[in-house]
Amino acid sequence: MTLPSLGESVTEGIITQWFKKVGDVVARDEPLFEVSTDKVDSEMPSPAAGVLTQILAEEGDTVETGARVAVIDESAVAGAGTAPSVQVVPEPDISQVAAVTNNKTAVTPEGVVNGVVISPVVRRILSDGGITPSTLRGTGPGGSITRRDAERAVANGPTEELVVPLTNGRRRMGQHMAVSTLTAPHGFVAVEVDGAVFAELDRVGRSTSEGYQVTDEMLVILAAVRALADFEFLNASFNGDELTIHRTVNLGYMRAVDEDGMLVPVVHAAAGLTLRALARRMSDLDERVTTRHLTTDDLMGGTFTVVGPPSIHTLWTQPIIIQPQVAVLSIGAVRQLPVVIERNGTASIEVGRRIVLGLSFDHRICEPVAASQYLERVATLLAGVDVEGER
Amino acid sequence: MANEVQQFDVVIVGGGPGGYAAALYAAAAGLGVALVERDKVGGTCLHRGCVPAKEFLETAHVRRTVEHAGAFGIATGKTSVDFAVSQNRKNEIVDRLFKGLSGLLKGRKVTVFEGTGRLDAGLVVTVVDGADAGVVAKGKNVILAAGSVPRTLPGFDVDGKVVVTSDEFLDMSVLPKSAAVIGGGAIGCEFASMLSDMGTQVTILESLPSILAGCDTEVASVVQRSFKKRGIDIRAGVNITGHSAKKTGTTIAIEGGDGVDVEMVVMSVGRRPRTEGLLGEGTGIEVDERGFVVTDRYQRTANADVFAVGDVVANTPQLAHVGFAEAIVAIKTILGETVVPVDYDRVPWAIYSNPEVAFCGLTEAAAKQKGYEVVVKKDPFGGNSRAQIIGDTDGVVKIIAEKRPDGTAGQILGVHMAGPWVTEQLGAGYFAVNWEATAEEAAALIQPHPSLSETFGETLLALAGRGLHVG
Repeated sequence: MTLPSLGESVTEGIITQWFKKVGDVVARDEPLFEVSTDKVDSEMPSPAAGVLTQILAEEGDTVETGARVAVIDESAVAGAGTAPSVQVVPEPDISQVAAVTNNKTAVTPEGVVNGVVISPVVRRILSDGGITPSTLRGTGPGGSITRRDAERAVANGPTEELVVPLTNGRRRMGQHMAVSTLTAPHGFVAVEVDGAVFAELDRVGRSTSEGYQVTDEMLVILAAVRALADFEFLNASFNGDELTIHRTVNLGYMRAVDEDGMLVPVVHAAAGLTLRALARRMSDLDERVTTRHLTTDDLMGGTFTVVGPPSIHTLWTQPIIIQPQVAVLSIGAVRQLPVVIERNGTASIEVGRRIVLGLSFDHRICEPVAASQYLERVATLLAGVDVEGER
Repeated sequence: MANEVQQFDVVIVGGGPGGYAAALYAAAAGLGVALVERDKVGGTCLHRGCVPAKEFLETAHVRRTVEHAGAFGIATGKTSVDFAVSQNRKNEIVDRLFKGLSGLLKGRKVTVFEGTGRLDAGLVVTVVDGADAGVVAKGKNVILAAGSVPRTLPGFDVDGKVVVTSDEFLDMSVLPKSAAVIGGGAIGCEFASMLSDMGTQVTILESLPSILAGCDTEVASVVQRSFKKRGIDIRAGVNITGHSAKKTGTTIAIEGGDGVDVEMVVMSVGRRPRTEGLLGEGTGIEVDERGFVVTDRYQRTANADVFAVGDVVANTPQLAHVGFAEAIVAIKTILGETVVPVDYDRVPWAIYSNPEVAFCGLTEAAAKQKGYEVVVKKDPFGGNSRAQIIGDTDGVVKIIAEKRPDGTAGQILGVHMAGPWVTEQLGAGYFAVNWEATAEEAAALIQPHPSLSETFGETLLALAGRGLHVG
């Protein structure tokens, strides 16, 4: 058994726990070991029924995808114990050798690597689907990627692994935040803006025509994504030398996980979405956050991130940038406040709604003026959302 | 010199297609190679199989052409056959190819030992007989390519006169007036077709319900119809119990039926591995109950330093070109290079009977058995302009594709052809199957006009939903 693909751009994982020991009988799809990557922890099912005859990667080992981690003897049955990996036949006479042939030798092929593409048709399907072949282990001869593998990867993402309870979530979050803080000099600005649109949302109702819930956060995300059209350099990756501006907005947003850090699901290709479509996509992702059915690809590929209010009284948060992105927008809670209204040159105080928008930005590629301009643009677009029409 | 152990990177036992391909490919990669061959390099394929058989079939083709020359206004008079001339021609061709191959091996500095090789423990190959008897060659890796020999049936001892296998048949200089071909597989049908076209009265005796049982049924029935039209007596589903020799020829006994009187019996009931004496003690090689060597998909035997390629390998098609491919897989594996193993379900098959058969991938029946829902299209050669020009319109192209949920044809699973020059036409179908093209992907590509290959293109168009000429 080799370590299967763990998702796009994930090339290795840490074996954190073996559930079986050498000599144990395993059923097909029975969890064999737990692997931890920089995104999620996953339980790896056994690819075959048989006896676990060898463990080649110990707990704590970092293993590349495609590397051998265990040997499962499919021909061995319960009670067979450990089978030798190489059969030594003492009697070479053909008639006698024949007697031992059903005790099959587990010859495990070496040289099998990920990303073997034979067919130009398959190569094109992967290319069109934006899938890097090296993230896939195929089911064809020698691990070659078949058309079926490619189509499945394009439809479902390169893996079928589900997110399992996140025992190492906090560790991962901590590592990423530490690296980001050390890598990028963070700048931060916050602006307080008008929140009348949220009153409008209350008036027309907090659900879309399709029945999905609409939150304050969604309205801000909608405006934040649209404002990126005028601030392309914030929808980007920075590697220290070059800024790569992304034409597609893959919008990540923060979700806390009980006792286990946080997840940042990604709404891919978010730029053209209406409020209705955004609500549908986020509801779907949120549902899978709750049920822990996010795939690794739901967490990959983000180009810009929004952090919603962690509580109903939050003024703002000062978020840490998710690398290699260059900015992250934070949303405070919508608050009812006395606001100063000017009509016909006369100022008066009324009850209104206000919200604080914050932006953490990589100070190597942005400075407070541009960051504030972006937030002002978000505020303008937020105020202008046609809630009635788009919901 | 004898008994002094000579060291090589790779020692290969057997110089047929699997063995010599392994030798050439390994030598091209800079490895030091020894090849042990008991007869002549080239093996069964060159000396007693594919190559001589095709020369005879071409002789039959020339005769057909001459006999139909009148249709083109070319008067030839009465034709006569001197088969010994064709036999000589075949020998000259084989000899030229043998010399070419020998030169190639020499040019790549492959050491060829003459004699029978035996693998002993410790990756040592001992030459047990022949000119180089006593030589001991040790390899870092050993490749077993000992090949196969024709089988016969109980009660049919091969005497080289009345009862022959392909080995003896291909050395004949006079053809029999009547012959029974026992076994209606690829080799049997080639012999039957050639003999019949050369004027021999032929009976095919096959124990399975039909001839060419491994082929798609519609393709097989094209051959069956043509054979019957030419007077070949096909008796399928028969059980042969033995034969009783007469002064000239013999009578073959068939269970529950009349005997068949023939001058000659050609056995073509398959080939068994030549593994007797191949393995010494303690080699760790696994051999199946029929004597074939068991390997993994990278041609590695149970002894990880020993590989096997070609006909000697268990459960793989006995085809020279599969041997070539396996040799490359073995050498690349030895070199530690990334290699994709042979996909045995998708290798090309070619049968050089008249009409020819060529196919690749799943038959319609096999696809259904594997649980595929399929879309099938076929186009006969009858409407093909080039087929009419050459005066050879018997045949069909049949393509099997996976049915998509919406009912349209998806990925192409199998391409099956019978008819003129289909062995040369299969290439496009082979690419389509192995590149996993869908019907419309392959149909978008153009075939030249007028050409026989248009029938393949037309079938693809129909499969993609709308044909030009066929529906």
